[in-house]
Amino acid sequence: MNWKKVVSVLLVSAMALSTAACGGSSESGSNAASGDAVTSGTENGGSAAASGEKLVVWTLANDLIDFGERFQEETGVEVETVVIEPADYPTKVQTALLGGETEPDIIVGEPQMLEDFYDAGFFEDLDQFGAQDYADQIVDYVWEVGQSSDGVQRAISYQITPAGIYYRRDIAKEVFGTDDPDEIGKLFADYATILETAQTLKDAGYRIFSSDAEINYFSGDSAWVIDGVLNVDQARYDYMDLCVDLYQKDLTAYANQWSTPWYQAMAGEVPILTADIQNYADDSVNVWDAEQFEEATKDMAKTEVFAFGLPSWGVLTMRDNVKDTSGLWGVCSGPSYGFGGGTYIGISSQSERKELAWDFVKFCTLNEDTANWWIEYSEGDTVSLIPVLEAHKDDANEVYGGEKLYAFWLQQAEGIDYSKVTRYDKAIGDAWGNAISAIKTGEKTKEEAVNEFYDVIESTYPDITVNR
Amino acid sequence: MNGIGYKIKKGILYLLLILLGATCLLPFLLMMVNATRSGSEIVTSFTLIPSTHLKENWETVFSFFNLFKGMANSLKVAVPATALTAYFSAMTAYGLAMYKFKGNKVIFGTILVFMMIPGQLGLIGFYNLCTKLHLVNSYIPLIIPAIAAPGTVFFLRQYVLSVLPPSLIEAARIDGASELYSFHRIVLPIMSPGIATMAIMAFIGNWNNYLLPMIILNKNDKFTLPVMMATLRASTDINANQGAIYLAVAISVIPILLVFAFFSKYIISSISAGAVKE
Repeated sequence: MNWKKVVSVLLVSAMALSTAACGGSSESGSNAASGDAVTSGTENGGSAAASGEKLVVWTLANDLIDFGERFQEETGVEVETVVIEPADYPTKVQTALLGGETEPDIIVGEPQMLEDFYDAGFFEDLDQFGAQDYADQIVDYVWEVGQSSDGVQRAISYQITPAGIYYRRDIAKEVFGTDDPDEIGKLFADYATILETAQTLKDAGYRIFSSDAEINYFSGDSAWVIDGVLNVDQARYDYMDLCVDLYQKDLTAYANQWSTPWYQAMAGEVPILTADIQNYADDSVNVWDAEQFEEATKDMAKTEVFAFGLPSWGVLTMRDNVKDTSGLWGVCSGPSYGFGGGTYIGISSQSERKELAWDFVKFCTLNEDTANWWIEYSEGDTVSLIPVLEAHKDDANEVYGGEKLYAFWLQQAEGIDYSKVTRYDKAIGDAWGNAISAIKTGEKTKEEAVNEFYDVIESTYPDITVNR
Repeated sequence: MNGIGYKIKKGILYLLLILLGATCLLPFLLMMVNATRSGSEIVTSFTLIPSTHLKENWETVFSFFNLFKGMANSLKVAVPATALTAYFSAMTAYGLAMYKFKGNKVIFGTILVFMMIPGQLGLIGFYNLCTKLHLVNSYIPLIIPAIAAPGTVFFLRQYVLSVLPPSLIEAARIDGASELYSFHRIVLPIMSPGIATMAIMAFIGNWNNYLLPMIILNKNDKFTLPVMMATLRASTDINANQGAIYLAVAISVIPILLVFAFFSKYIISSISAGAVKE
């Protein structure tokens, strides 16, 4: 054998592979909404030819493919759904619409993109089609997210995404003597109580959370920016202290959200990692490798995790990962109201078929039959249409010990105050999160970290006034 | 040869090279293994033992789109674009290196400057231009601009200067060859190793090009492979699609391997041929 040749071919192909891979492997954020994964494209539908009408939908979540297919079946209008990766969706829509593209009739957005889209004039005014007639049928906060700052309705979502605390009923019974969601909700009523709850659970041999990021969805009880001034109120500092305490007082299982042990904690026993493992300072345990993970942690103390904090689409994530603990879970309210994600549907202002597009928006968001079908088809997604939520309020979800989740989510969604949400939330929240990480690991003092946070905000948004 | 010492040295070298090769190839082995595993297996564990979900992943991929259609589309873009890049860059590089004319330096300087400007900057303007020319949803805006490849011209100009003795061209002129004839018959073959190298880079670049096709193409059946694969990530439940994503990526790498295998043979043979003659 000619080894030189073999080795050179190996190296050459390795090089080709690595060059090739650089382009294709960027990780996208967890923009997951909810629903069923396996769906199909809707182009070239058959029945449409008859009516000759056609709608083009540009979306970032696969849900609309299913909605499009159903719309096509029922009305005979051909629906062409183009799915674009969520991370690139704003780029695509901005470039195309600013470039004068008239092709998309329906465009969508997630809450953090919407305000920029409204300001750029991408979404058509829905009030001219009589959208306000439906105002009381949709959950309030969803209705408000769909309004631009001048109060004009521009987009509507078919789902609500309020956040809740998912907890283990069996552990609750053992430690607190009850598994009633209202009672357990009281254990999460504010940050100080959460810390107490965490300590009680630790003393009983459990851990309250798998990661220390579980209350992120409930962290904001005031707006980050009020009248162009950065607003960091006491609750933000309390949240910071809570995260630092959870971490430094050894109250979580030190998993990172969305990592292997985090998912494993949904199904039962997990080893208690250490802080060093969580932030990769100690690499003796590979949290992304199950077998090696099991081997390296077999001498570590095991625990079970009590709770997860996730929006309503977490119902589906949990369902797919709880395995043997199915039925042992419950959902209760957190320290404040919050929500995460959601796909909002609107009409492109440059569309040439706006009437038909409005029919589609109505069909997806304001039609009770569609909402009922969607609940069934997605196997448990939470819709935004109040009459339908009320009709399903007695539906018991067996994964969650027969809890009536639709009634619960409706109640949570009604508590959300959308005036506290600003377009800066994601960026500022991330910067605040970085400050918290720096403090909890002891990398910076609280003062240094907070000052750096102010610096970051000042340089990212020169138009926001920062009062230190 | 002094026996054992030499063997040990060689052994260590080979060991290091094999280690290096293994490190480079491991991620790809992982990719192939993951292509056979289900989404929840991938997020909850890590192993090198293939699982049994290849068929499901395959079906998931094809329920989203036709992977082979995407490959065909990508080939339709990447092959002409690569050919144009290679040919015209070689021509420009030869012109800049071998002809003395006023402004030569200025043109070369301009090309260097353009190498440093990121292409994304003019995106909206480019889209606007394409709308006016009715070129949205067509492959032309993806192929034609490949003619201007400053980086390739820069590389090939240096390459021509080093491999092509001017006397060769003078000899051809004396024998009555036209400029184009001598470029095609003499310069191109001599430059071919350099061109092949740049062609590989250009092909990989075009094959993996994501931003521009994503912006320019609005029809599902015109999407190139990277744009199609990105739609797997738009899924409502990302975890469920992990395996499918790995499978799609694994399949999409095959053409690049083929191209690389073909061109690399060419590079190696040409380089050694030149080395012996000099």
